[in-house]
Amino acid sequence: MRRDVFQAIADPTRREILSMIAHKSLNINSVTENFDVSRAAIYKHMKILTECGLLEIKQHGRQRFCEGRLEKLNEVSDWVAQYREFWDKRLDSLEVYLQELQGKSKKHGKKK
Amino acid sequence: MAKKNELVIARVFDAPRGLVFKAWTEAERLVQWWGPKGFDVKVSQLNLRPGGIFHYSMSLPDGNEMWGKFVYHEITEPERIVFVSSFSDKDGSITRAPFSQAWPLEVLNELTLTERDGKTTLTLRGGPINATEEEYKTFESAFGSMQQGFGGTFDQLDEYLAKQHV
Repeated sequence: MRRDVFQAIADPTRREILSMIAHKSLNINSVTENFDVSRAAIYKHMKILTECGLLEIKQHGRQRFCEGRLEKLNEVSDWVAQYREFWDKRLDSLEVYLQELQGKSKKHGKKK
Repeated sequence: MAKKNELVIARVFDAPRGLVFKAWTEAERLVQWWGPKGFDVKVSQLNLRPGGIFHYSMSLPDGNEMWGKFVYHEITEPERIVFVSSFSDKDGSITRAPFSQAWPLEVLNELTLTERDGKTTLTLRGGPINATEEEYKTFESAFGSMQQGFGGTFDQLDEYLAKQHV
């Protein structure tokens, strides 16, 4: 089963849960009460968020709190950086190949 | 095809368009440049037609190897190739990227080549696919936010998440 940040933020209910706990930990009940759907449905979303590493449930006395681990969302922007780096390298390599093929020296350097 | 918030990479090559197109579509040329430094690229299959597959391996001298594939969607010589890229195993089944869990399983790429004065501008647009409509929207919003300097601080994240409420 695929469990990553992309999956976590793909669902509007999960995004709402994340934004509720972005700044402060919340008692589990105050999270579930915010939604019209069943408690079980919200627990399911919380479970997915936990598996994605974005949420942690902590026991404080008799209460359970949801804590956000939103730094994991950086993976979304990491993807962009990785994609760019991946293609920049490939295209550098293509440029060298095309220069060699045409018998041109590398003195022109990289062109953007 | 390309959505407005997809990632775009452009590069100008000092080579005619026909040659750049060949470098992308002929197995014996692809192995010359495709693949990170130090990797030996071998083409196991290259079937240049819509629905056709480019399946390749990249191996290091220490014996480690990675497999990847493209599935071609559109081919218009010499100006446009639309393909879905992914990492795979040696049988061609899609796998996670070896270097990152966050890399989407499949990425739709649209490559366009335009020529002017003997120089070719290559434009590559890419975005994750095989997501639900909901996921597409999320990706687009994510890319949009990031292009405006989405840095990853809590405040920005909160703002980003707040925008997702529809």
